[in-house]
Amino acid sequence: MSDYLDVLSVLILLSSFILMANKRTKSHIRTFRIQAAMIALAAGIMGIDSLYKEGRFDLLVVCAVITAIKVIYIPRLLKKVDANVEYKVEKDFFLNIPILIIGCCFIVVFTYFSISTSEGINTGTLNMRVVNSVSLILIGLFFMISRKKAIGQIVGFLVIENGIFVTAMFATQGMPFIVDMGMFIDLLSAVMILGIMVFKINEKFKSVDINKLKNLRG
Amino acid sequence: MGFVLLAVPVVAVVLFLLIRSRKLQYAISVSASTIIMIAAALLTRDVMLFGVVEYSALGGVFYIDSLSILVLDIVVIIGLMTSIYSVGYLEEELKHGKLDPGRIRIYYILMYSFIFTMMLALTVKNMGIMWIAIEATTLASTFLVGFYNGKDSIEAAWKYIIICSVGIAIALLGITFLQLSSIDVLKGSQFLDWTALYNKAAALNPSTLRFAFIFIVIGFGTKAGLAPMHTWLPDAHSQAPSPISALLSGVLLNCAMYGIIRTIAIVNRSLGSSVFTGRIMITFGILSILTAAIFILTQKDYKRLLAYSSIEHMGIIAVAIGIFTPLSVFGALLHMINHSFTKSMLFLSSGNILQKYDTKEISKIKGMLKILPVTGTVFLLGLFAIAGTPPFGVFSSEFVILTAIFQKNNFWIGILIAVVLAVIFAGIAHTMFKMFYGTNTSAEITAGEINIPGVIAIVVLFVLITVTGLFIPNPLKELIEKAGNIIIGGQV
Amino acid sequence: MINVVYAVIQIVVLVLAAPLVNGIIKKVKALTQKRKGAPLLQMYYDLFKMCKKTVVVSDVSSWILKVTPYIVFSTAVAAGLLVPVTTLIQPGWFAGDIIIVAAIFALGRFFMMLAALDTGSTFGGMGSSREAMISSLIEPSILVTLFTIGLTAKSTALFPIMNFMKSTGTPLIHPVYIIAFITFFIIIITETSRIPVDDPSTHLELTMVHEAMLLEYSGRNLALMELGAAIKQLVFITLLVNIFIPLDQFIGAAGIAAVAISLGIYLIKVVCISIIIAVIEVSTVKLRLFSIPNLAALSFILSFLGFLQYFVFGR
Repeated sequence: MSDYLDVLSVLILLSSFILMANKRTKSHIRTFRIQAAMIALAAGIMGIDSLYKEGRFDLLVVCAVITAIKVIYIPRLLKKVDANVEYKVEKDFFLNIPILIIGCCFIVVFTYFSISTSEGINTGTLNMRVVNSVSLILIGLFFMISRKKAIGQIVGFLVIENGIFVTAMFATQGMPFIVDMGMFIDLLSAVMILGIMVFKINEKFKSVDINKLKNLRG
Repeated sequence: MGFVLLAVPVVAVVLFLLIRSRKLQYAISVSASTIIMIAAALLTRDVMLFGVVEYSALGGVFYIDSLSILVLDIVVIIGLMTSIYSVGYLEEELKHGKLDPGRIRIYYILMYSFIFTMMLALTVKNMGIMWIAIEATTLASTFLVGFYNGKDSIEAAWKYIIICSVGIAIALLGITFLQLSSIDVLKGSQFLDWTALYNKAAALNPSTLRFAFIFIVIGFGTKAGLAPMHTWLPDAHSQAPSPISALLSGVLLNCAMYGIIRTIAIVNRSLGSSVFTGRIMITFGILSILTAAIFILTQKDYKRLLAYSSIEHMGIIAVAIGIFTPLSVFGALLHMINHSFTKSMLFLSSGNILQKYDTKEISKIKGMLKILPVTGTVFLLGLFAIAGTPPFGVFSSEFVILTAIFQKNNFWIGILIAVVLAVIFAGIAHTMFKMFYGTNTSAEITAGEINIPGVIAIVVLFVLITVTGLFIPNPLKELIEKAGNIIIGGQV
Repeated sequence: MINVVYAVIQIVVLVLAAPLVNGIIKKVKALTQKRKGAPLLQMYYDLFKMCKKTVVVSDVSSWILKVTPYIVFSTAVAAGLLVPVTTLIQPGWFAGDIIIVAAIFALGRFFMMLAALDTGSTFGGMGSSREAMISSLIEPSILVTLFTIGLTAKSTALFPIMNFMKSTGTPLIHPVYIIAFITFFIIIITETSRIPVDDPSTHLELTMVHEAMLLEYSGRNLALMELGAAIKQLVFITLLVNIFIPLDQFIGAAGIAAVAISLGIYLIKVVCISIIIAVIEVSTVKLRLFSIPNLAALSFILSFLGFLQYFVFGR
């Protein structure tokens, strides 16, 4: 079973690279959906395992909640937002894609070196899973700052949250149940509020290019 | 009593959803905050008698000790003053046609949700639920920041929610590492329980704890306005409606700092010395003070200037917590109180000024003392207060903090801070004092106070800061000392 | 003696199976477009037809144009002798490994590019420059991927690698190998000029990369070039299926029956992968030429990621 989890953690990291390499918003949303599905699968595997060994099924409930929220509901919400805003931002990123992908690679190497030099987290296979998950967080952050469209920033934020959830899951077998549920409710409301804000930005500024928001300076 | 405290805002939100009459909404708002204040007062008396108040609901999650009740009291008092002020403010906005009546309902719903989430963050002992509550404050206040729906407000609200959400997500990573550091020490339901972590602090894994601390400081520091994560603060605090700015500046920054302080208590107890956390906090603190100083010198908008001043004072609190002697922690908590009252008083007065003059630029405002006599005087004295002049509260807490810094032989830090404070005073004096004198040339601005309830609230706050500047009543001193003991835990 | 027989069997299987892969891919594409499409053995008929026609050679070209078809065909067959078709057949005297395979294909590609320039036609030159760019961008991925697998198998020769993979049970459920598998898929698509890198069925010269270099050939030369490209495609697919999904350990019989069964399994795997390639061709569009570096960067970084996973996991 730990083999499957290793493979899933690498595939999740791979999906973040694919996210970085995409140029269109719809592909971003689709890749995010695939990533959330893989995370739900990993949670499901760990949940079934913990059900056998200890009889707890909070991880399974968490898996179901992730599927409902991140795989089904949030991508649908984002697609609706994307369909209703202008498409005028031509070049969505500042640097070109190969440089962004190489940057992501540096992030993975950097994460590996910082985590492997601290005791307490680097015990065997736990090490690589944690490295993959923490790199996911940093790649999400990198994605967020390298995109100009507002929806890109929302997707980046969602990837950061994905990464934190995966880190918690792999490193500590999940947070306490009520904290997980609270996290998801928070995430859902945050995405809804961000969606409404994108509508308002589109209305006022007639574009979703974040770089146009520079009236307030100093 | 704690149940009443948390249930009243929820009930108020439900009532606001149902009731449409404006006068009734004002009444509900003021009575709700009064009831909350009474509940908080009773809770304070309980905490001072028994030390800790715990409830067994929801698995023993609610927990109020001296530190929580101190910050909670600030929330409650400023909440009461703000809701009194809002009544007059909203009436004035309606008169000038800047708002529709329907928006007032949304305003109150969001404001009370905001107050509820802040109180929730302060009354739980599970760090995870504290995190959830602090994230919820961001969500509840985003639409308040963007309330006026103009281009600048929307931009400020977007920056606010994006930067604060990313910051809070990083704080969540820190909390994950916190849980990871305790994985062999605590079991099941005790994960992320602050009292359990504090009691077993010596057994926690030190290097994971260091990671956890760094991430939590960066994360909650974003919410608290520490540089370099402060970039959302001037925009959000200047674009929000003035009573909301008072709440954001006076209360929310304290809640975020509270989260950092709780973590520092655990980390210092585990590592045995405050050197690691001290260095980080002092660095962030000094960076914040310097950033604030640079930007205050060149400000053209008085609300932005007040926002930068908030960054500066949060930096001072961070430095004081970094020094970590009993005297400096006392100073930090006292400074939290004084800064909150002074800053909210200033923001409420600035609301009056904005409504009278209809402009946010300093250069366009002249002759404030003649046109708004009471507000103008209070604003002028408040500016003196926030810059650290005696006999006001901020001076005494800054004095305590600087004494503590010099006592611990950190001469250069102390001198740096003193110099920068002087620079800030000069900057504020130079930019703002032009507003008070001269004659106003614009014909349509009539002399006379507006928003009488608000003026009353402002004056009450002003009296409070003068009182705490002159002498600190004994119960308050005991409460702050007890809170300091919780943080330091008997080690220096 | 037995080695010669094995070598002959391997060459015969590869040369005969190569056009079948193209046929399957075209058939699947046609079926998904609700056409009947050409028959499966169409490429065999095309090759016979081309052999019967006369060869027309431009008279401003040099010996390179005449020699290239033979070089391309022979390098493809030579590489085919180095890859493991089944672990039970090992033409042992070729001591080649990954580097030799990559270098042999590079030789063929080099001559192909030179020959396209040789005739002086603009489309040929355009095809050469594009082919040079794409192949030089994808080369690092191939090497890093195969080296990573070589690191795990402690050897860079392909037969020992396949034997090692056979002995690890289910190699695909492993973080290093799954990344290598995905990267290798991208490499196949790039090296064999399939959509999304290059459309093999286009007739618009300005969109061609590989086809543009074949414009000047006719008759038997064209047949050799086409067959060489098909064998190269089959060699890459063989590498993919035999390194990552070696099912040889499940064969119970022994002797000739075992060899026959394992060849049969190999052909079935090739057919499955061809169907997958066809589905990918149908569902994506051809990339702009200047977006191909994005794909190449992605595949290189993925292969490096696989190496990093090996470096940490260590198994």
